[in-house]
Amino acid sequence: MKPVTFVLRLVLVIAALLVVLPLVWTLLNAFKTNADLLVSTPKLIFTPVWDNMEYVLNRRSVARALVNSLVICGWAVVLGAVLGVPAAYVIARVKNRITQEAQFFALSLRFLPPVAVAIPMMVIWLGLGLYDSRVALIITYMTITVSITIWLSIPAFERVPLAIEEAARVDRLGPYATFFRIALPVAKLQVLSAIAFSFILVWNEFLLAMMLTTSRAKTLPIIASEMSQLGMSVPWGILNAAVVLLSLPPLILLALVGAGLNSAFSAKTSQE
Amino acid sequence: MATVECSGLRKCYGSHEVIRDFNLSIADHEFVVFLGPSGCGKSTLLRMIAGLEDITGGDLLIGGTRVNDNDPGERGIAMVFQNYALYPHMSVRQNITFALERAGDSKERIAKRLAPVVESLGLDVYLDRKPTELSGGQQQRVAIARAMIKTPEVFLFDEPLSNLDAKLRGHLRVEIARLHKTLKSTSIYVTHDQLEAMTLADRIVLMYQGRIEQMGTPEEIYSRPATLFAAGFIGTPNMNFITFTVQEGRLRDGTLDLPAPEGVTGHVTLGIRPGAVEVLDAPAHDAIPAVVERDEFHGETRLVALTCGVQGLMAAIPAARKLHEGQNLFIRFPSQSLHYFNTDTGRRL
Repeated sequence: MKPVTFVLRLVLVIAALLVVLPLVWTLLNAFKTNADLLVSTPKLIFTPVWDNMEYVLNRRSVARALVNSLVICGWAVVLGAVLGVPAAYVIARVKNRITQEAQFFALSLRFLPPVAVAIPMMVIWLGLGLYDSRVALIITYMTITVSITIWLSIPAFERVPLAIEEAARVDRLGPYATFFRIALPVAKLQVLSAIAFSFILVWNEFLLAMMLTTSRAKTLPIIASEMSQLGMSVPWGILNAAVVLLSLPPLILLALVGAGLNSAFSAKTSQE
Repeated sequence: MATVECSGLRKCYGSHEVIRDFNLSIADHEFVVFLGPSGCGKSTLLRMIAGLEDITGGDLLIGGTRVNDNDPGERGIAMVFQNYALYPHMSVRQNITFALERAGDSKERIAKRLAPVVESLGLDVYLDRKPTELSGGQQQRVAIARAMIKTPEVFLFDEPLSNLDAKLRGHLRVEIARLHKTLKSTSIYVTHDQLEAMTLADRIVLMYQGRIEQMGTPEEIYSRPATLFAAGFIGTPNMNFITFTVQEGRLRDGTLDLPAPEGVTGHVTLGIRPGAVEVLDAPAHDAIPAVVERDEFHGETRLVALTCGVQGLMAAIPAARKLHEGQNLFIRFPSQSLHYFNTDTGRRL
């Protein structure tokens, strides 16, 4: 191995460790007793215990927050996809002033700091009597999922060669059939990745959820953060267990669509 | 049955007119090739006939019916694209039968029509593969099969062989010619390759800058090019052009002095194909002295660059005849092989 290659590999390994180690640490700590946790030399070998997980899973607030998170994120993502994917297709295929503005508008939804969105949203939902409801959070989250789905699906549809859509037109397909039978199946993987990414964003969302819920519609990130306020001493094991649970759904999604997600973000074109 | 009639077709992008007043009528069973350099509007025109580009003005009739505003699927056409345009998520079989399924044909009927198409193109073994698993030539065969199975009234080919290597191009060209004969449909074929045009066409429509430069059988265009552009575009190696001024009924350029055709004045461009130039070793009647500049071996023939006076020109001679650089010899232009053009208008005289 050349010295240069070796150094570059080393840099990569260090970078990888920087990312992976804290995650592994969290995972290990989730299964430790407080006695194993609170020692000056971190223990790698210990007897794993299920206590922390059990505590987290058995709390009624966690169960309710899990349902809330699934329902709210699920609906926000589904509605975001139903609205965003066809919109992205139109923006990718019809190039004019209006669609260009629409594309920029979709992105600009993400420019504002969340707190600037949260306060007016709070006022609106309070006024409508929907504050601290799932509906309020679903609609608020939709602004995130729609814009992300649109923004990431546009390149996916742009990569579908125009000629195959023209071939479809010659094969007697109308615009809707062309979208559902040709463009969508061809761009499937990247579009799914865009949707998955929008799910991850809202699943992890904290600030809006905190400002727009007080009890009934609380989501998992809120409950997880509350675990750190359980008492005088920080319950490290429980906190870690909550983090592990919270990270599982996005990680599973990432594993499923990781490849597609990568190509959704890179600017390479598959054909020509 | 399936004639194609273009009368006064126009295409504008904004205020930019790319095709103006295009008139052409294509007979049933005819194989017409649109030939021209890139950007001459030939593909745009084909796409207008296909219905993939809007028609700005004029009338397009297929089989006697005006189809200007019909969708591509309702024009009775099938199209083969340059980059194949196969559906990547479908198998070869699905690609070919997709249009029939859309039209609601029964499974038995589709199977019955699929068999001969697949057989004639040798695609039997690939039916269950995805297009990406096939080579370029096979992919284009699938695309042709997809067009064939629809038994269209008009076949449209948009540079179908341009993405293939030379050898495959030759094979598929022969196949397309054979298919056209057996299917007896009307075909319109766009290409920038004159060899494809010459070998396939019943009639070539030579296009330049959005209009028809010349129209005729390959022989007609080759032997009687109507314009300087047609003369220069058709034929390999390229035709020699020598520009003269007409003085006292003679063509002169300072050193050369040739008899002029009657009634010609002003500037005249003389065209002669390299193969028609006679190369002589000894002086003869009407022969002009020339010097060998360069000698290119082309296999069967040898292409010789000659200088005569201030002019340079190419002559094609049998490869067996060897000339050396700097050699002095004589050339003669047989009068039946000469093409005269008005230098200013570019028209044939």
